[in-house]
Amino acid sequence: MIEVRELNFGYNGDSLLRTLNFTVRKGEILTILGPNGCGKSTLLKLLRGQLKTTGGSVKWEGKDIAGFSALEKARRVAVVTQFTRVDFPYKVRDFVAMGRYSQRKHLFDFNGTGQRQAVDQALAMTDLLPLAERPVTVLSGGELQRAALARALAQETPVLFLDEATSHLDINHRLELSDLLLRQNRERQTTIIQVSHDFDLSAAMSDRILLFNEQGEIAALGTPAEVMTGPILSKVFRAEIKVEQNLLTGTPHIVPCFNTTAFRFDGLRIHLLCGGGSGRTILRRLHLGGADLSCGPVNRGDSDQLTATTLNLPTIDEQPFQPLSTAKLRQTGQLLESVRVLIVATQWWGPGNLACLELAARALDNGQLVYLLKQDPRHDFAEGQAWAAIERLVKQGAQQFDDEELLLEQLTTLDV
Amino acid sequence: MNKRSRNTIWKGLLLLSPLIALFLCLTVGSTILSPGELLATVFSSDRQALNTTIVWQIRFPRALLAALVGASLSLSGVTFQGVLRNPLADPYLLGVSGGAALGAVIGISLGLQSPLLIAVFAFLGAIAALLSVYLIAQAHQCSTHTLILSGVMIGSLAAAILLFLLWRAPADATRQAIFWLAGNLALANPDWLVWGALWFVIGFILIWVFAAQLDLLTQGEESAADLGLNVARSRLILFILAGALTAGAVAMAGLVGFVGLVVPHICRLLWGPSHRILIPFAAFFGASFLMLADALSRSIYAPAEIPVGVITALLGAPFFLYLLQRRGGL
Repeated sequence: MIEVRELNFGYNGDSLLRTLNFTVRKGEILTILGPNGCGKSTLLKLLRGQLKTTGGSVKWEGKDIAGFSALEKARRVAVVTQFTRVDFPYKVRDFVAMGRYSQRKHLFDFNGTGQRQAVDQALAMTDLLPLAERPVTVLSGGELQRAALARALAQETPVLFLDEATSHLDINHRLELSDLLLRQNRERQTTIIQVSHDFDLSAAMSDRILLFNEQGEIAALGTPAEVMTGPILSKVFRAEIKVEQNLLTGTPHIVPCFNTTAFRFDGLRIHLLCGGGSGRTILRRLHLGGADLSCGPVNRGDSDQLTATTLNLPTIDEQPFQPLSTAKLRQTGQLLESVRVLIVATQWWGPGNLACLELAARALDNGQLVYLLKQDPRHDFAEGQAWAAIERLVKQGAQQFDDEELLLEQLTTLDV
Repeated sequence: MNKRSRNTIWKGLLLLSPLIALFLCLTVGSTILSPGELLATVFSSDRQALNTTIVWQIRFPRALLAALVGASLSLSGVTFQGVLRNPLADPYLLGVSGGAALGAVIGISLGLQSPLLIAVFAFLGAIAALLSVYLIAQAHQCSTHTLILSGVMIGSLAAAILLFLLWRAPADATRQAIFWLAGNLALANPDWLVWGALWFVIGFILIWVFAAQLDLLTQGEESAADLGLNVARSRLILFILAGALTAGAVAMAGLVGFVGLVVPHICRLLWGPSHRILIPFAAFFGASFLMLADALSRSIYAPAEIPVGVITALLGAPFFLYLLQRRGGL
C-alpha cells in the first residue's frame, strides 16, 4: 500500500534518515519505535508528503506522494499529532466537522446529511456526543486528543497516522483510544501507522514494529516478538532492558531495570581505569556514594573524561587518539599509590592502552585491591596480549565482576 | 441573569444596532431633526425642502459610506486574525496603513486638492505596501511570523518617510494630512459610493466563500495541510482579499483605527469563531459601529467634527476592556 524505496532525508545537509526500504501493508498496524530524535515523526511527515525526501521515493498504491495535492493526500490519510493546538474556541462539533473538508462535494457543502452523519458518527465513536456543544478550549488534555481523533475519523480515510497521539494521556484514556483504534482497524481495515514510546501497548496492538536506531537506520522490522527482544532493545536504546512475556496476552513485556539499592562508600579511596563511555555510570554512582575518587588516564574529549572533569575528580588526561605517554603513566602510578581499590572498567584493549594493565599488576604487588569489570577476551585488539595480562592479574588475586551491582556491593563491604 | 440570556440580550442589541445607528446618523449633526421631522422628511414629496436635502443628499450617503468602511475594516480584521492566527492582528498590521498614509501624504504634499486623487494615491500606497510585504514573506512560504514582521517593518519604513515629508511640507498640508491620518468620513464624495459598495460586496462574497478555509487556517499550518488545505494558496488569496478591502476602506476614509481589531473580537465572543457565521455578523456590526461613531463625531462639537478615528478608539477600547475583564480572555 505504501512503498518506501531508498528513502533519505536530512535537514540542511545533515543526514537524519538513511536509505530506508520497507512496505506498509493494507490493513496492518505498524508501530515506529526508536530513541528520541531519531526521525520517527519526520518519517511520518515524509510518508504523507509534508516534507520532501532528499533521495528515494514514497509511493502510495504505486503513485509518488509528491504528485498528490493536499486534498488528495487528505482523502488518503488522516493525522493525529501529540499536541493539538486550539487558539480559537470552536465547538467540539465544528472542530470535528473540519475533518470533512476533504470530503466536501462542493463549496457550500457544509451541513449536508452525509456530512452531519459522518461528524455525528465520529463523535459517537469517541464518546464525545455529550461534549459536542462545548468549546474545544475548555476540554481536558484527554478530551482534546479524543476530539482530534474524532476529527481524523471524520475524514474517513483508509489510513491513519498517529504521532504519539496518546502518549501524554492517562492510562485509562490511552487504553480507551487504543481499543478504539483496534476496532477501527479490525472493522474497517484501516491501516494504522503510529509513532509511540509505549513499548507494552505497541507490542500488544501492532502487527509489526519498525525499530530505528540513533543513526536513523532501521534496526529491526518484524512482529513484536521478533523485534522486541532484550538484546535488540538494549543495543538500540543503550540501556539495560529486559523483556518478558505478558502472562495474559503472550506479547513481549518490557521490564524496567531500575536500581533502587543505595550504596555508600564514604571516604573509600578508589581509582578508576576507564574510557569510551565504559566508566560513565559507575563514575557517577561512586561519586554519589561519597567515594574518594580519581580517574585516568583518559583521552581528552572522551565522554568519561568529560564526566570526570565535570564532577571535579582528579583526572589524568591524554591527547585524543594517542597511545598513553610514559609521563602520563608515571603520573597515574603516583596517583595509584594512595589508592585502596583500583577498578578496571576499560572495555576495549589495544596497543595504546595495554600499559594500564601493568599499572594494575603493580597495584596488586603493593597489596592493593584490583577489581575487573566486565572483561571479555573478544575485546582484545592487542593480539591476545591484553587477555593474557588480564588472566595473569586474576591469578595474582584480582577479582572479576560481570555485573556493576555486584562490584558496588563488594565495595560497600570494605572498610576505609 | 445567566450567561446565556445575557448573550441573547447582547445579540439582540447588536442586531438592532444598524437601525439605531442609521436613525442617529440621519437625525444628529449641525441641524438636529426630531423623529417626527425625520419621518416627515423621509415620506415627503418636496424635493426642494432643506431637510430633504440634508437627509438624502448629505446624511444618508455619508451613513452608507460609514457602513461600507466599517464593514470592510471589520471583515478584513476577521480575515487577518484568522489567517495569522493572532488575536492582535488588525487590518493595518501588514503595513497597509503605513503604505496608504504615505501614498496620501505624497499626494497632499504634491499639492493635490482633489479628494479623488488623494484617495487613489492612498489606495496605490496600500497596495504597494501589501505587495512588498507579500514578496518578502513569499520567500518563506508566507509563514505567519514572516508576514507579521515584514508588515511591521514596511509600516515603520513608510512612517519614517511620512514623517520626513510632513516635516518638510507647508503647515496647511500638514493639517490636511493629520485630518486624513485620524480618519475622516467627510473626505469622501457620495459619488464613490457605488464603487465602494461594489468593491465591498465582491470582497465580502469571496471571503465568505472561503469561510471553511479560514476555519482550517486557524488550526495551524500543519493541521490545515493534513485536513486537505493548500495552505500557501488559501493564505495568499485571503491575504489579497483582506488587503484589497482595507485599501478600499482607507482610500475612502483615511485611517480609521480600532474597528478592525475590536469588532471581530466582540462578534467572536457572541457568535463563536466559526467563520461561516462570524463573517456576516462582523460585517454587519462593523457597519453599525462606524455609523454610530460617525454620528457621535458630528454631534459632540457640532457644527465642528471630531475625527472619527478618535471616537472609534474612545468607544471601542473601554468596551473591549469591559468584555475582557468580564470574560478573562478572548
